[in-house]
Amino acid sequence: MKNLHKALILSSAIFAANSQAEITLNGFASIVGGVTTSSDDTLYGYDQDIDFSQGSLFAIQASADLGDSLTATVQLLARGENDWDPDFEWAYIAYDASDNLRVLAGRQRVPFYMYSDFLDVSYAYPWITPPEGVYSVAFDTFDGLGAIYSTSMGSFDANFHMIYGGNNSEITVAGETVKPDFIDSMGLVATITRDWLTLRTGYLQTEMNIPLQGTQPLIQGWQAAGFDSVANDINVMKDTGSFLEFGFQIDYNNWLVIGEYTELNLDGTILPNQDSFYVLAGYRFDNMLVHVTYGEDDDARDRVTENVPVVDQLLPLLVPTNGLSDSQKNQASYINLGLRWDFHDSAALKFEYMSYSDDLNSNNDAGLFRTALVAVF
Amino acid sequence: MNKFFKTSICSTLLISSFCYADIAVVVNHENNSVLSDSDISRLFLGKLKKFTSGGKAVAINLKLGSDTRNEFETKVLGKSASQIKAYWSKRVFSGKGKPPPELVSDKDVLSMVASDNNMIAYVDAASVDDSVKVVKVF
Repeated sequence: MKNLHKALILSSAIFAANSQAEITLNGFASIVGGVTTSSDDTLYGYDQDIDFSQGSLFAIQASADLGDSLTATVQLLARGENDWDPDFEWAYIAYDASDNLRVLAGRQRVPFYMYSDFLDVSYAYPWITPPEGVYSVAFDTFDGLGAIYSTSMGSFDANFHMIYGGNNSEITVAGETVKPDFIDSMGLVATITRDWLTLRTGYLQTEMNIPLQGTQPLIQGWQAAGFDSVANDINVMKDTGSFLEFGFQIDYNNWLVIGEYTELNLDGTILPNQDSFYVLAGYRFDNMLVHVTYGEDDDARDRVTENVPVVDQLLPLLVPTNGLSDSQKNQASYINLGLRWDFHDSAALKFEYMSYSDDLNSNNDAGLFRTALVAVF
Repeated sequence: MNKFFKTSICSTLLISSFCYADIAVVVNHENNSVLSDSDISRLFLGKLKKFTSGGKAVAINLKLGSDTRNEFETKVLGKSASQIKAYWSKRVFSGKGKPPPELVSDKDVLSMVASDNNMIAYVDAASVDDSVKVVKVF
């Protein structure tokens, strides 16, 4: 009798202990509207015409428990800005080698940032989207292996995440859509949590091959002029890019303080090195969270022509090359005010206003108002 | 006295949702683990997967929206329902874990815990019977 009762409970609760390939469906969505506050401002793709497709997305995740500690998971994500064409953001088989160790094989997120693993799940964090200035690496998934080791040391929970793999999905770099080849991508991320405090650090690196068409005339020009080293410094081929991150989160009573600092090093290419950080402070009133974020971005690329003699016949190459290096420079800061209202068990409304200042060119200063309805299901 | 005070507030203000019941955390009678408040919270957050005795631990939740669950999440996990939902969203969509399975009623929970010594769950303290062992009342 007791067994029968248990069986009934189990089947009604879709409790997937021993049954074969139980499939769990989950999903998340963001509907985001954005508009700049003055007619000639543009920021992150928004302008004075209110837009609802840019930041909007829908995703569905199916996960099948195959038994014997194996799970297969796919996550399909459709973005408004890509005409709602769905992409596989995650597609992996996970194996729980022990209670502490999970190994993932397949397509997964590169754990660059504190919120990378659930980058598009707006319900999981305060903002509509994490600060764009910091969250700016041109790609966010890879194909390969990941290992997540979790353990406790006293009252500390520690989590180590290692990855190895590569990626050749199309990206947009310097305004050009290009098919890159990232190989030997590897990294280690450590996260330590105790009660209300989380600390995180990560280091990742990859070999980069990004055949930017726009730079080919300069590369060929310098090669023809006998300056192979300058050509190599422009070209993004067999160069190593590295990335360092430090992050923290304090969630104490009703206070929330979050910060991240990142350094992207792309030496040996014409692409800029980027240092950036943000700090958020927030306070929860019942089901409302008010928050303010301040952040700075600093991008720069030294001129690659320092060892080139300034002679007339090289000027047609020197001028555009120096112009290209100099144009990579960016110094900006922003303040973002936000409100998150958890009006429903599975959904929240968010309102944000960002004031963005370009420290090098005040014509790029902009104000951006965004609102979002976000949900998980 | 305390209880009297609580009851009188409830009756005078007639705000029944403010009158919380006690929550009992329960395990199987064969489970002799000693669990701290932090252990209990980490078991239900999927951070701890074994009892102190070494046995595999499986936490059971009540359905989303149940008063007992809201009370448990506030008192024991120290989070609101939406904070817990956000916590599990992070884990579910990043391949790090999935939330405890949900059962509909205290009765279902009790019979499940009574029949399986890996289970840990919580119910309204008033529903507890002899079939399970109470680890702690919050």
